Amino acid sequence: MIPPRRYSTFALLALLSAAAGCRDREIVTYRAPKDPAPAAQPATAPVAATGQLPDGHPPIGQSTNPGPMGAMPDGTAPTVAAGNALAWTAPAHWLPKPAGSVRKGSYNIPGDEGAVADLAITAFPGDTGGLFANVNRWRGQIGLPPLAQAELEASVQHLDVGAFHIDFVDLTGSGGNPPMRLLGAIVPHEGQTWFFKLTGPAPLVARELPAFREFLSTLKVR
Amino acid sequence: MAIQLDCFVASLLAMTPPMTDLLRSFRNLFVSLQLTVALLILSLILVFVATLDQVNLGIWAVQAKYFRSFAVLWNVPHTDISLPVFPGGYFIGGLLLINLVCAHVYRFSLGWRKSGIQLAHSGLILLLVGELLTGLLAKESFMRLDQGETKQYSDSFTYSELVLIDHSDAELDTVVAIPEALVADKKSIQHPRLPFQVTVKDYYPNVTVQMRNQSAAAAAAAPSPVTAGLGVQAAMIPLAITYKPDERNIPGAYVGITSPEGPLGIWLVSPLLGLPQTFQHAGKTWEIALRSQRHYKPFAVTLLKFSHDRYPGTEIPKNFSSRVRVRSDDGTEDRETLIFMNNPLRYGGYTFYQAGFDNNDTTTVLQVVRNPGWVLPYVACVMMGLGLIIQFGFSLTGFFRKRTAATSGT
Repeated sequence: MIPPRRYSTFALLALLSAAAGCRDREIVTYRAPKDPAPAAQPATAPVAATGQLPDGHPPIGQSTNPGPMGAMPDGTAPTVAAGNALAWTAPAHWLPKPAGSVRKGSYNIPGDEGAVADLAITAFPGDTGGLFANVNRWRGQIGLPPLAQAELEASVQHLDVGAFHIDFVDLTGSGGNPPMRLLGAIVPHEGQTWFFKLTGPAPLVARELPAFREFLSTLKVR
Repeated sequence: MAIQLDCFVASLLAMTPPMTDLLRSFRNLFVSLQLTVALLILSLILVFVATLDQVNLGIWAVQAKYFRSFAVLWNVPHTDISLPVFPGGYFIGGLLLINLVCAHVYRFSLGWRKSGIQLAHSGLILLLVGELLTGLLAKESFMRLDQGETKQYSDSFTYSELVLIDHSDAELDTVVAIPEALVADKKSIQHPRLPFQVTVKDYYPNVTVQMRNQSAAAAAAAPSPVTAGLGVQAAMIPLAITYKPDERNIPGAYVGITSPEGPLGIWLVSPLLGLPQTFQHAGKTWEIALRSQRHYKPFAVTLLKFSHDRYPGTEIPKNFSSRVRVRSDDGTEDRETLIFMNNPLRYGGYTFYQAGFDNNDTTTVLQVVRNPGWVLPYVACVMMGLGLIIQFGFSLTGFFRKRTAATSGT
């Protein structure tokens, strides 16, 4: 049995915690300074039937308020796939650089006469549009026209590394001297899609092709 | 509060005649050292288990589950039933506080030789009270500033709010902020400051939002009830709740607005929508948004410059710093200051820590902490330190005196 006067202590503690809890359910009204005007006019009417965003609208699905700051050197966390599910071993001559807020991994690959290739490792939830859309997105990045659906299979190699199935593409741009070349690997893993994209001047990327394929073979679940 | 508890326990203990056996056994329990040791062992186990569970739940959920609770609840698998399986931080801390205060009062005796112990105990009591106050009153949020940007508010780490903003005034907006906890109830809300009814049709604690033509997953998503705003062509895809410390759950909801004249539409709201959505009602422009909960301050902070220094020739960070300008609303303060690691800005009851950066070193993220009890741990540590110095000082002088006596005797 608790002495009756002891109840008052528990009641006080319960009241304090209840009061703290109630604050989270209170509708508040206040007057606040206006936010600066956005870059584009907000949409006041339904978006056009084309499904396109208004001019100047930032891409949808990117948070304007990224979450708590996880690690100082990585900055803040935007809406990317959760966690770092995959691990890899990169060749010693690839120079790691800060991954930033979107990339899961990032490397500079130095070549001759100051040439540099970039390896970006990113991951997003879902299939992010599927293989066809992503290959055409990459083609667009190096100035190639989009493929037709029927042509897709011919430009994709399928690799099996351990438990992973990797869709691998090797694209060389049409313009520039030297032209840009892109090696891309798409790795679906537990509801996420991981992208490994190496881009750089074609001769340098050609030199790094064996190293990149070797690098893909080191992929494993963390 | 410590004084009130002291008085309370003193009056309780003063009820000696006629003290029943039951009361005496309670008194003996609450003043006993065994209880202290048992509680300290329980708290050790609690900290150990909570530290391990942080891998699964992250820092925020672990704090709520293990430390800011009276009991650690275990969810019976495949049911909604939660069972208490271990005492929580408030329970152990509360009992420890009562135990310390009781022992302190019961064994209190005036005299220099006991002053060290008394001081150290008082410090420990103050430390526990300080943690209780921190748990109940402290608020942590963050302020994200681009270079040149000025803000008068910080954003919550974990909570969101549904806001309806009346833009009709030329100077100030009138904001009605509905906390996420109410949105999650999925009910109709009528508020005196709103000329319409707000109905939450559906709510998800963590979502991704994509344009329907953006991905196969979005195209295949279930049709939404949205009739107005950007969400008409978008798909909201629910995701599993994340507990990781470097990620946050981004909620989404379908919200209907109904005026006395009839429905105005149903909007998709989520912090993932890049721009505000507005609608007209009775000649006024209203904005509807689900955003991170804002905490407004009576002063404005402007980021003048963010610096990210590296060791020469490497990418290894050396220092992060934000030069900011602080201007109070009443015009009494207008100054520049530099915030860097371990050198926070303390102003207006808030502490601003350098916490992160983004956008190629042009955006800073400051952690904003308001903790009215922040000074208590420092005072408590000084008291405990002094108490121990005094106590051991007495022992040391006693030892020297004995040795001198022994030496002079030989």
